[in-house]
Amino acid sequence: MSRSTAVLAALMGVILLAGAARAQQDDLDRIPAAPAAAQAGEPEPGQRIYLEDALTLSSNRGGLPVPQPGPGPVDWQERLLLDLRAERKLGDDVSLVYSGRFNLRAENDLSTPDHEEVVNDLREAYVAWRPSGNVYLDLGRINLKSGVALGFNPTDFFKTRSVVEPLSADPSVQREDRLGTLMARAEYIADGGSVSLAAAPAVTHATPIYGTLDLHSFDPSFDRTNAADRFLIKGNLSLSDDVSPEVLLYREGGRTSYGLNVTDTFGQSIVGYLEWSGSRRADLIGDALAYGRATGTLPPQTPDLPGNGARRFRNEVSAGFSYTTESKITLNLEYHFDQASFTRADWKRWFAPGEAPAGELWYLRDYALDRQEPISRHNAFLRMDWVDALVPDLELTGFIDTDLYDGSSLIQLTASYYLNGDWTLGGQVSANAGGRRSDFGSLPQEFATLWQVTRYF
Amino acid sequence: MFKTVLIAALLALGSSALAQDAQEIVAAADRVRNPGEPFRTTITFTEYVGGVERDHDTLVVFSKQDPATRQFRNLVQYAEPARDAGKSVLLDGQSLWFFDPASKSSVRISAQQRLVGQAAIGDVLTVNMAVDYAATLLGTETIQDAGRQPRPCWHLDLVHANDQAVYNRIELWVEQGTFHPIKGKFYSDSGRVLKSIYYRNFQEQLGSVRPVEAVIIDAVDTSLATAVSYKDWRAQEIPDNWFQRDYLPRLQIK
Repeated sequence: MSRSTAVLAALMGVILLAGAARAQQDDLDRIPAAPAAAQAGEPEPGQRIYLEDALTLSSNRGGLPVPQPGPGPVDWQERLLLDLRAERKLGDDVSLVYSGRFNLRAENDLSTPDHEEVVNDLREAYVAWRPSGNVYLDLGRINLKSGVALGFNPTDFFKTRSVVEPLSADPSVQREDRLGTLMARAEYIADGGSVSLAAAPAVTHATPIYGTLDLHSFDPSFDRTNAADRFLIKGNLSLSDDVSPEVLLYREGGRTSYGLNVTDTFGQSIVGYLEWSGSRRADLIGDALAYGRATGTLPPQTPDLPGNGARRFRNEVSAGFSYTTESKITLNLEYHFDQASFTRADWKRWFAPGEAPAGELWYLRDYALDRQEPISRHNAFLRMDWVDALVPDLELTGFIDTDLYDGSSLIQLTASYYLNGDWTLGGQVSANAGGRRSDFGSLPQEFATLWQVTRYF
Repeated sequence: MFKTVLIAALLALGSSALAQDAQEIVAAADRVRNPGEPFRTTITFTEYVGGVERDHDTLVVFSKQDPATRQFRNLVQYAEPARDAGKSVLLDGQSLWFFDPASKSSVRISAQQRLVGQAAIGDVLTVNMAVDYAATLLGTETIQDAGRQPRPCWHLDLVHANDQAVYNRIELWVEQGTFHPIKGKFYSDSGRVLKSIYYRNFQEQLGSVRPVEAVIIDAVDTSLATAVSYKDWRAQEIPDNWFQRDYLPRLQIK
């Protein structure tokens, strides 16, 4: 080593040490002098209460290829809602759970005063009891959710008809305001797996699909959730630290469905998942027309539409993966397949003039929406969630749901800024994009914005 | 030739002994941070931006060592802020699940995704570093602790030794004699410093003197610092079936 090299190396060593010392000094300067703030008060476990004001402004399309009968989407809507979820212990092993939302709303197509301005959603009310260490029994209205995917959950059998007046089209958000089902549930959770049984009796009969102008003000709406006897058995088993598949068996109204949920991790950043269900059933068109006739929405003599209505085994699949970056962005990409939903030929017939009365055609789409079933057979779903986006406490979420037949999409972007622990400000834009004769491009609502202020207590 | 082999063997032995010592130092520091018995504790995170207190979160952590892996299995539930109350996270080896009581859904998360949010910090604070990292003793060094007091420390370099390791690399300073962890620097896969942690306020808790506060200095957002405070340490029997994703909706913190 030459003298000059040695001097240079020594100099670099000194610079590095000085740099390290400076870095530590910088760290120490950023350490808060005072100890962490004392707790203001003990938080109430299991409880969340918030008051939210939400204003929606929409712009709607004219000249639809299939005119929509009846009132279209609102131009504006103002909602004030009080949301409460609470849990109270009645004893060492008994708890009472309540979850609900009280809505006041005004919109351009509601006259004042009108009972439609007040809507109370009873989401959950049940007693939870643990008779022994591993066994749990629940009785009451319970929101039982299944599935590992985000955009479409084929195994979420209790999702049908349960979502009430959602403020967002994001499936992750819609789950937050759905009605539970009146049921008895038993669950056994062991080390290495669990099994649960749920039985939901029919307590009333099926009713027509609700519009925005015929909602009940104070009614548990069991017609949405308990119009048929429903049974679910599901269990999961940990095959390894990484893999614990869940299998499901569901029966409703003479139809038996089978389901499977599997997840696995790939490296540090990726989770893959597959959700499948299958049952012997008619297609969406056949089911919708039968339901419309049974509930009186469609005349009894309404003829079947040409298509693929025969009862046979049909599959529903949601497969995808999540990927999280170092900069706190989580992306979910999913493929959705519903063998009962519209084929390309069904779409062609839906747009063909004179194929069927417009009311009947739109009823098919309302039925799919009410049951949270995709209207089209093949869809791609991309969702993004970015925590601390650009600035701390700003969260950006967005998704694109694309019909793979025609490339039309539902696009939504939401920004939530957590002002502090109590206040959140939110803004949202959504658009149904696509050609006039496409899935999303044929919907009456073209563009909508939503502005929210939320106060947590 | 014999001399060369002998020297090489002695060097290898010496290096192995040093590595052994380094691993033991890290294990001793782990025992200072984490009780050996199952326990629960309440952790409050107070966030400072530019030195000004902005917000705080409170989590309740249930923790139990897995005898097979010697790593901690954690269940975390948010108590504050109000918007997150009741959200729970299962952090058990590769089994990482997030449960939101609002949507009633459990979502499986990746090791990277667990780092988004405060629950990850709660988890990282209980991680047994000696299990997931291979330690090398870099030397001894006197550094200033969080209170700017000089502490003679072992300076250790920890490199991830298995897939369970959340960070690619950690630099750790452990006080000589007491084995108190004083400071840690945590690196991402790309070699970037993510955060530094200073441990402070050592108190007798669950049978040993442990740090009941830590300060996390964010290296990515240089205006951000988080003070972490532990309270309400309790030894508690935690059944193994709690570490199931289906138990998350059943977890109660009272």
